[in-house]
Amino acid sequence: MSSDTVVSVENVSKKFSRTLRHVMMYGAADIARNMLGLSSRPQVLRNGEFWAVDDVSFELGKGETLGLIGPNGSGKSTLLKMLNGIYMPDRGRIRVKGRVGALIEVGAGFHPMLTGRENVYINGAILGMSKAEIDKKFDSIVEFADVGEFINAPVKHYSSGMFVRLGFAVAIHSEPDLLLVDEVLAVGDANFQKKCFDRILDIKKSGASIIFVSHSVSAVERLCNRTVLVKNGKMIFHGSTREAIQKYFHESSQNNLDKVQSQTFGTGEVIFSDIFAYQDGGNKHNANIEFGQDIIIEFNYRFLKKRNQNNQIRLGIRTFDGRDVQKIFFHEGSFPDGLVYPNEKIVSLGDQGTCRIKILNPRLFPQTYILDIAIAPLDMDVHLGGISNAKAFNIVCLNDERRYFEYGNATVTDFDFDVEVFKRLQSTPTTGEPSRGLS
Amino acid sequence: MATGNVVVYEPDRAIKIGFLAQWQEMVVELVKSRELIWRLFLRDLQAKYKQSLLGVAWAIINPLVTIGVFVYLNSAGVLRIGSTGVPYVVFAIVGLTIWNLFATGISAATNSIVGAGPLVTKINFPKVSLVFSSIGQSLVEFGIRLILTAIILFIYKVMPAWSVIFLPLSILPILFLTIGLGFILSLLAGVFRDVVNAISLITTFLMFLTPILYPSPKSGVAAKLLVWNPIAQLVVGPRDLVIFGKLSNPLGFLWSALFALIVFFVFWRLFYLAETKIAERI
Repeated sequence: MSSDTVVSVENVSKKFSRTLRHVMMYGAADIARNMLGLSSRPQVLRNGEFWAVDDVSFELGKGETLGLIGPNGSGKSTLLKMLNGIYMPDRGRIRVKGRVGALIEVGAGFHPMLTGRENVYINGAILGMSKAEIDKKFDSIVEFADVGEFINAPVKHYSSGMFVRLGFAVAIHSEPDLLLVDEVLAVGDANFQKKCFDRILDIKKSGASIIFVSHSVSAVERLCNRTVLVKNGKMIFHGSTREAIQKYFHESSQNNLDKVQSQTFGTGEVIFSDIFAYQDGGNKHNANIEFGQDIIIEFNYRFLKKRNQNNQIRLGIRTFDGRDVQKIFFHEGSFPDGLVYPNEKIVSLGDQGTCRIKILNPRLFPQTYILDIAIAPLDMDVHLGGISNAKAFNIVCLNDERRYFEYGNATVTDFDFDVEVFKRLQSTPTTGEPSRGLS
Repeated sequence: MATGNVVVYEPDRAIKIGFLAQWQEMVVELVKSRELIWRLFLRDLQAKYKQSLLGVAWAIINPLVTIGVFVYLNSAGVLRIGSTGVPYVVFAIVGLTIWNLFATGISAATNSIVGAGPLVTKINFPKVSLVFSSIGQSLVEFGIRLILTAIILFIYKVMPAWSVIFLPLSILPILFLTIGLGFILSLLAGVFRDVVNAISLITTFLMFLTPILYPSPKSGVAAKLLVWNPIAQLVVGPRDLVIFGKLSNPLGFLWSALFALIVFFVFWRLFYLAETKIAERI
C-alpha cells in the first residue's frame, strides 16, 4: 500500500445466509466461538450460505473517484458497507486511511418528534462530529438543506424531500477523507440532485477520495475516473469508466434479451416468421445495435387465407420496462381521408413476403427495446395475426466517441423510416419485386 | 499509508490483535463515544417527554401504584408482610426506587439496538453508545423517584441514616449489572425479538422473588433462594444504607458486587466481539 493510498481492498469476500433460521443459528455459533477466542472460520461456506461479495480487490488513491456499478443484487451495497465498517469481510482485508463519510442512508437516526435543529446535532454526533464542529457548520448545513424556519419544527412535519435534504446536508458537512455514496442522488427533486452532485464535485476538488455507487451511468461517467463493474458478487471489470459502462450495458442487455417471451394473438389468418432486428450493414443475428446507427427490422409474413381487402402492418417499439416509444404503420392504399402521417407508409403486400424496415437515424437511448408486430385489415379493428414481444433488441454504446448522455435521458422518438416489401411466390421464397414505400 | 490513522477490517480481527489490544480498543471506543452517548441520551429524553402528557409524572405513578396495591393487600389481610422496622411505605419506596433502576434499565437496554433500526444497519458508529445512553433514561427516572422517596420519608417523619451519603456508591454494582446484562440482552434481542417480550415478564417475576416489597425472609425456601439471587443483595444493600445505617449482609453484598462487575466486563467484551455481526443479522 503506497503512501497516498486511501483505500486498499484485498481479495475481499462476504457471505450471507439464505434463510433466517441459518442467520440466527450461525450468528449465535460465530459469536460463541469468538467469545472463546476461537476463529469462527469465516472463510468457509456452510450449508445455506453464499458469497454476496466474492474476491474483490482494488485500491484508491488520494483524490481519486471510483465508480461502482452493476445490476441489482450484485453486491455493491454490501461492498460499500464493508468499506464503512458496518459489515466485516469474511475473507481478505480492507484498509482505510482517514475519516470516512458515508451517504448510505441519509437521515437514518433522525427522531421524528425532535426538531430539525436537535436532529442535526444528534445526526452529526452519530457521524462522528463534535458539538463545536457542528456549531461552526450549523448555518451552512441549514442553508444547504434549504428548510428555512422549519429547522425549529419536528422533522415529522417535514416533507420527504426536506427530510432527505437535511440528512444529506449533515452528512456532506463531515469533511471526510473518503466519501462513500450509495444511490442517494436518486432522491429529492432535480434541483436538489444537481446541488448534491455539485457538492460532491466540490468534495472531489478538495482532494477527498470518493466511491460512488449509482445506477445513473451519466453521473458515474461525470464523476469517476475509474469504475468497477460487479455482477453476482464478482468483480468482472475494473478500469476506465467508459469501458465499464459499455460492459455494464452489454451485460444487462444480454440478460434482458434472454428473458423476452413472445406471444401470438389475432385470428391466426396471418403468421409471421424469421423476425430480426439488427444494425444496418451488420449481422442479422446480432440484436445489439450501436447507438445512433440505423436499425433494420425484418420479418416474413404469410396469409393463410385468401386476402380480400387492403391490409395494414403495425409495428410497435416499446422499452423493456413497457413504455411505448413509437408505432409504425404501413398499409396497402391510403385511408379514406387520403392523408399519410409521418409514421405511415403506403406499400403493396403480397400473399406472403418479407418486410424490411429501416429506421433512419434513431436516437434511442441505450437500453433494451421490444418489438410487437401485427397485421390487420386497414379499416377494421381486428388482428389477422400478431406477435407481442416478437423480438428484443439492444441499443448499446460500444466504442462510441459520442457521449450518448448528451441527449439526456429522453428517448428521441420522432424517427423516420423506410420500408421495403419483397413479394414472394409460394415456391421461390426469396425472390420477388421489391415494393418501395413512398416517403 | 505512511501517515494518518489506518483502520483495518478483516475477519477475526479481534482475535488477531490479541486480548490486551481488544480491551484497549474497547476503552478507547467508549471514551470516544462520550459525546454521542450524551446526545443519544438527550434525544431519548426529549422525545420521551415531548410525546407524553403526564411526562415525568409516570416515573412516580408507577411505584406509587405498586406500593398502593401492596399496602391494600397488607391491610386487607391477604398478605402477611412481616415487620419492616420502619413504616411499610417508606420501606417499599426505597426498595422499589433502587429496583426500578435495574428493571427500567434492563428493558431500555434490551430495546436499544432493535429500537435504533436503520441506524445500526446503515451507519458505522460505536454501538456501545446505544446501550449506555439507554441506561441514562433509567438514571433520570431514578433521580425523580429519589425526590418522591425524600417526600415520603418526610411525610412519615423517618430520618434517613447518616450512611445515605454512600447511596451513589452503593448503587454502582446494580448499575454495572444492568449495563452488563443490557449488553447481552440487546444483542440477543437483535437476533431473537422474543427477548423483548420475555424480559418484561422476567423482571416482574424477579421483583417478587427479590425482597423489595417484603423484608428478607429468614428461613424456608425463600431464604435459600435468596442466597442465589445476586440482585437481591444489590437492592437490599443500598436500602440498608438509606434506612438502617448498616449493611445487614455485607459479605453477600460484596460477593454480589463482584458478580456484577464480572457480568459487566464479560458481556462488554462479548458485545465488542459481536457488534459487527449484529448489523448483518438484525
